Amino acid sequence: MKQSFLIRNPHILVFMGLLAVFTIAVTLMSAYAGSDVISTSFVKTLGKTLCLCLIAIAMDLVWGYCGILSLGHFAFFGIGGYMVGMWLMYERTKEIVATSMAAEALPPTPEEVREGIGTQIFGVVGGAEIPWVWYFADFLSIQLALVVLVPGLLALIFGWLAFRSRVTGVYLSILTQAMTLALSLYLFQNDSGLRGNNGLSGLQNIPGLTDVGQDTISIWFFWASAVALALGYLMAVFFTQGKFGSVIRGIRDDEARVRFLGYNVEGYKLVVFTGTAVIAGIAGALYYPQAGIINPAEIAPIASIYLAVWVAIGGRGRIYGAVIGAAFVSLLSSWFTGGGAPDISLGVYTIQWTDWWLVLLGFSFVAVTLFAPKGIGGLFDLINPAHKGEKS
Amino acid sequence: MKRAGIWAAFLWLCLSGAVFAQDLQNVLQTHQQAVEKASRKTIDAVLDDLAAANAPGTQTFIQEWAGKNVWMRKEDGLFFYVSAQADKSYELIDLASGETVGVAAEKKLLKQLKPNSGVRGVLASFLVQFQLSDPDPERRIAALQAIERDADETHYGPLQASVENEPDAELKARKERLVRVLAVQFEQDETKRIDAILSFKGDLGVDARAALNPILATDLVVLSALQDPSENVAQSLSSRFTGSDMPDGVTREQAIALVQKAGLLGPIPDNDAIKSALIANMQDDMVGGFAKQDLDQQENRYQAYDALAASGLVDKRISDYDVSETLAYSNLALVYREPSSVVTDTARETLASINDAVGLNQALDLGLDALSLASIFFLAAIGLAITFGVMGVINMAHGEFIMMGAYTGYVVQQLIPNYTVSLIVAIPLAFAVTFAAGVALERLVIRWLYNRPLETLLATFGVSIALQQIAKNIFGTQARPLTSPGWLDGAWVLNDVVSISYIRIAIFALGLIFFLLLLFILNKTRLGLEVRAVTQNPRMASAMGINPDKINMLTFGLGSGIAGIAGVAIGLFAKVTSELGSDYIVQSFMTIVVGGVGNIWGALLGAGMIGTLQKGIEWLNPSNTLAAQTYMILFIILFIQIRPRGIIALKGRAAGD
Repeated sequence: MKQSFLIRNPHILVFMGLLAVFTIAVTLMSAYAGSDVISTSFVKTLGKTLCLCLIAIAMDLVWGYCGILSLGHFAFFGIGGYMVGMWLMYERTKEIVATSMAAEALPPTPEEVREGIGTQIFGVVGGAEIPWVWYFADFLSIQLALVVLVPGLLALIFGWLAFRSRVTGVYLSILTQAMTLALSLYLFQNDSGLRGNNGLSGLQNIPGLTDVGQDTISIWFFWASAVALALGYLMAVFFTQGKFGSVIRGIRDDEARVRFLGYNVEGYKLVVFTGTAVIAGIAGALYYPQAGIINPAEIAPIASIYLAVWVAIGGRGRIYGAVIGAAFVSLLSSWFTGGGAPDISLGVYTIQWTDWWLVLLGFSFVAVTLFAPKGIGGLFDLINPAHKGEKS
Repeated sequence: MKRAGIWAAFLWLCLSGAVFAQDLQNVLQTHQQAVEKASRKTIDAVLDDLAAANAPGTQTFIQEWAGKNVWMRKEDGLFFYVSAQADKSYELIDLASGETVGVAAEKKLLKQLKPNSGVRGVLASFLVQFQLSDPDPERRIAALQAIERDADETHYGPLQASVENEPDAELKARKERLVRVLAVQFEQDETKRIDAILSFKGDLGVDARAALNPILATDLVVLSALQDPSENVAQSLSSRFTGSDMPDGVTREQAIALVQKAGLLGPIPDNDAIKSALIANMQDDMVGGFAKQDLDQQENRYQAYDALAASGLVDKRISDYDVSETLAYSNLALVYREPSSVVTDTARETLASINDAVGLNQALDLGLDALSLASIFFLAAIGLAITFGVMGVINMAHGEFIMMGAYTGYVVQQLIPNYTVSLIVAIPLAFAVTFAAGVALERLVIRWLYNRPLETLLATFGVSIALQQIAKNIFGTQARPLTSPGWLDGAWVLNDVVSISYIRIAIFALGLIFFLLLLFILNKTRLGLEVRAVTQNPRMASAMGINPDKINMLTFGLGSGIAGIAGVAIGLFAKVTSELGSDYIVQSFMTIVVGGVGNIWGALLGAGMIGTLQKGIEWLNPSNTLAAQTYMILFIILFIQIRPRGIIALKGRAAGD
């Protein structure tokens, strides 16, 4: 007899409960609620971590469930950030330009305003023309649609090309990495139309809401990130159950057999690849307004590899594993690199964690791959014997 | 031509030797007034006599004179060099002998000669003739170089005169060439000049192009209605301003300014001018029938302005169409500064033939560049290709092995100061270090993951992060130099266009050696046989008594060792940093993916293709190497569509995933 969705997946209730408690607790302890336990910048860090958890879920779907080790999902994340960043930057600059032109003898024409915005935004890369990619930057709704459409379309084209020529395994990983590298190199150019290595900045300000403080905005984005994560989690669990989930897990375990059973393997892979790219784009669109700045270095291939590291450490093939991995490693990483960890004195040499954290991470990653392929999530199998038989 | 007389006298003197050598001071005293108050009018006579006398020390004197270092003793008008003493007196130094011949107690007893700039110019060109015929070849070379750098008309004569008696054949050839270069620019006789121009047909020298290009310099002018036949018109532009196909270097703005200057076109108020005119004519927030707040649209501003223009307050607006029409009927033309059309035609043809030759040689140069880039990629990727092919695992830490090799080279260089010796030590040592590191990695990590290739990728990536950070912790973030020995400095210069640095030749040679060595090892040795057997079918190989474990270990060590050597080679021309490896890793992957795994020929073809492609794209878009890489990666993604397993694909069981 078929049990209901929630009863089969008790971790959903646990996760939602924890997320709700966490979100409310952070809100109450933030400057927004008049408390000063958690600083605004730390609220932002936590909000960003939630976005990273969301993209980790996407990574887990595509890798842990479908077996495609994509080293390009952070590129989609970055594109999402760029899309929303364009609107934020354009509108904010428009406000600034309008204010500065208000004092002139004649009211400014739309052309003059555009010219002012162009000079303001693209002065750093030696231009004043607004490039064509900014065509819709004035329209929030269209830019928001692009957050989904651009990563989705890119993933669709790339995935179609890659899957139809049966590029699999390591080859596919390298190809996705090459795609990421190509994209970041392209964005590094000054004539890419996205301000080259300067990237987009000032994204933490919401246009039209100049009198709303960062305390409040940070909480808004924190909540938005939490809601997006909850929805993403729910959807991910839902899709990995049932027939769809079985098929993609089948593809992961033995692609040829699934194909011989009559399934359109390429189609399934393409759906997963594109869908997760869209999730990554949304996560990026929520992340970068909290970070305040985006530049091409963010989407360098290394970032996508770290994403794989998070998921691997958290435990792939289970959605909560991805969330745990992303939250755990990214927070730990900022604790270590931020100088939070105490130095260890060895007499002749003092280990400073700002220098040695990456060494620790690298080797512990090797250790996890070798000795604990199930990652941190594997620990839950110890208390929940029902999962023991499941292959990760 | 007065100056020609000087040359003749000088030449004659050179021929006859310094038979009539006279004292320099005496010669100068015969022209005492002219020397003391030198002017362009009087100087020639002095120089004539100086050249005729050719007294010892003349050259130094001219130099010092031009440098304002010659002084005159007022009481007798004799000339000296001086040396200021601590007690404010001046030692007088004889012009010819350089010996101290007296002392002037006070400055006011002396007068410093300060020839004006015109005179100094004459002196400088007079000096040239001395230098060009100086007995010391070094000085002659210096003089030639000075002329080559910055030639002017005055050099032409003396240079021509000095060619005939040049004893050194090489210098003579150089002088003759320089004479031709100067003839192109300064020869008065048109036939000779054209001959000189024609002599450079297909010549690759930069100097030839530098001399020819100015002949074709043009000015944009409005021709008068009745065309002056003396104008050497390069191109008539009249009708071209309606379209957009403007010749290089001519802008519409230039043309408009010119036509306005000729009075054919009135001032054209642009948007800014319109705006300020509106502001200037604003009365009670109204102008031209529009309220101020309505002027936030360009169209309304135009209408308001037109209203002002109709009442005669401002200039009329002129539409773009009218401007274009005026330009089209204004008889605009590009006119050569050089009046003779025969000269410009010849120069154009000669330049065209030069450009053809240059293009051909540039293609050759590009080919060499591509070849050297390909050999770098080959070196970086071949180790990866072997391990990937034999073991089916990809080593993300391969780039870090390259870096390790480079740092090994750096450390060896710190211990052994002789660059040649240290290089000879560094190459095998780098191999040993990275071979050991490779074997350690294989034993500790990779052999546990043979049936999980994606996880090998991740685990080796973890190693890569750690190694990179360890290198950063040990050597710091700044780049370390790996200096190449002196005999690798410089470049092999074929001509002014084609050259290749010796380091790149060395790397090419290294790549070739490794290619042949690996071919030999894989095809002719027992180890190679076993490696090929394991590549094709590990289980069958095992059944035949081959220990696949040992083969895997050795292969991985070999691949890593080659990465170490590649690191030393790359370190010689790139700065050694902890990110050195990651700069090459993606290209290495591309090389393998394009070439096909497990095959040395595949790596060779892949490297050749990627190298050529990258250089080719860079050549098409030279300002932007970043874009070149982007396009190359896009190309590779498309290439994979055609040959998913690379140029040379493995067949049979080994080709399985």
